[in-house]
Amino acid sequence: MFPRYVICAVLVVMLGLAAGCGAPPPKSDGNDTAAPNVDVNVKQNQQELPAPAPKNSPKAQEMMQVTTYHATEDAMYLVPETQSVPKTEHPLQTALENLVAGPQSSQLVSVVPAGTKVLGVKVKNHIAYADFSDDLIKSNHGGSTAEMMLVAAIVDTLTEFPEVEKVQIMVNGKKIDTITGHLDTSQPLARSENLIKR
Amino acid sequence: MPLKKMLSVLMLQIIIISQLALAVPVDAGASKQDSLTRLSSVRHAVRTDGVTGEKSLRLVVEVTGPVQVSKSLSSSPTPQLIVDIKGAELGNVANNIVLDGKIASDLSISSLDKSDCRLVINLPEAIDDTECKVYTLPEDTATNRPFRVVIDIDKPLSVPNFNFTPSLKGKVIAVDPGHGGTDSGAIGPNGVQEKAVTLAVAMEVKALLEKAGAKVYMTRVNDRDVYAPNDSATEELSARAEVGNRNNADIFLSIHANSFQNSQVGGIGSYFYKNTIYGKLLAQNLQDGMVKASGLSDRGIYPANFYVLKNTAMPAVLVELAFLSNPSEEKLLNTPQFQQKLAQGIVNGVNNFFVQAAKLGGIN
Ligand SMILES: [Zn+2]
Repeated sequence: MFPRYVICAVLVVMLGLAAGCGAPPPKSDGNDTAAPNVDVNVKQNQQELPAPAPKNSPKAQEMMQVTTYHATEDAMYLVPETQSVPKTEHPLQTALENLVAGPQSSQLVSVVPAGTKVLGVKVKNHIAYADFSDDLIKSNHGGSTAEMMLVAAIVDTLTEFPEVEKVQIMVNGKKIDTITGHLDTSQPLARSENLIKR
Repeated sequence: MPLKKMLSVLMLQIIIISQLALAVPVDAGASKQDSLTRLSSVRHAVRTDGVTGEKSLRLVVEVTGPVQVSKSLSSSPTPQLIVDIKGAELGNVANNIVLDGKIASDLSISSLDKSDCRLVINLPEAIDDTECKVYTLPEDTATNRPFRVVIDIDKPLSVPNFNFTPSLKGKVIAVDPGHGGTDSGAIGPNGVQEKAVTLAVAMEVKALLEKAGAKVYMTRVNDRDVYAPNDSATEELSARAEVGNRNNADIFLSIHANSFQNSQVGGIGSYFYKNTIYGKLLAQNLQDGMVKASGLSDRGIYPANFYVLKNTAMPAVLVELAFLSNPSEEKLLNTPQFQQKLAQGIVNGVNNFFVQAAKLGGIN
């Protein structure tokens, strides 16, 4: 009996030690642009993860990060661009405005037709309703590649936010069936990861 | 006897007290450091990519610290995806989870040893390495997300029992010249309209297919809206898909010309809806036919969630002939000789498709 107790105690101590030094070093993948928040669309089985609590400190020029998507010059992929901008009360609208304003990088191409304005964006039941001026359609030069890139860039920019699962694209407050006649945009769309450059 | 019993009771008490005494500091130490990484939750969902229409199953395993992952595929006796998580113990998660059934049947989790876990995912069909991804995501304190292991499994292409013979003779083919009437489609820098180019090429395709013995149904044969002028896109696009569905077409071909913001972009692309093996096979054959016949650059074939592809019951492909936004390709697209070349490339592609499809699953 006594020896068994000793073994027990030794085991417990060893476990404690293992617990102290068993964890592998953290992976050095800080630049995770390849997979930014990619699981935002996963249905949470039980409860939704709480959205980050708004910090109401009265500090001047508090900043926030927004990620927008723009096309590669060859129109094959979308690439995320993350910018630090002054914090606003409506970060989704700010993100869309940044998307419409176009990329910072000269290597990337804006996918939003010139003159398009963001009229508003609201989230209800994890669906973001993104409302644009009719330049989205009227100033669009057509083409299915341009349409795929545009729709994916809008959806991917908004699904960066954890509270957004799908996006309904609207023009002048109304749902639209399509932008240039290829993609069906009459329903809310989920994030498109397959057009993002890895 | 009573003495021995007393002694053993005393001994037992000593042991219990000692273990309690020992247990307290060890427990406290473990909870203070909490550095035994463990699995804390497993969730899953079937997702549809909003733009490409590809369906996949995503499994997210939350872990309390950083881990390393590796995957392996096994096909016998039954198809399985095995994911090993190094540096985490099992924790308090379910050992068995039933999945969607179409992409993956179920998941079982077990410990390999004290600090490694194994996930075994049973699959209804064998998949290859490109059809599943396994990666880790770091902790994200801004959005309150822990370390995660993500497993994405693509929905495999189904193999329906189509009855194809290896030639164009007797085939029923729906041809859809993109846009038309009040919808001009893309317009090039010199004014060439997509609706005119698609109609010209489609009429050429029709003539060549009929010459080879096929029956062709066109969604339009002149400059018009298929449903009604200024109709909604859903009405217009469903009227086009309906031409294929109503006539029990063997295949559906939608012909378009592309456009993009950067006028230097050019080349040919073909799109399919990722459901059966035949859509992809048709796209590859059309693409090869057009690239060979035209000499333009090959942008490849891609899955796309296009309305006419999603809503047709037969293998369907949308081809993008070239870019109207590219001035030199705009010029080419506007010449009858080039339109003829593209049409011949499309018809060669359709013929090759039937030859290959007949080998794959044809009954006759
Ligand atoms: Zn088109």
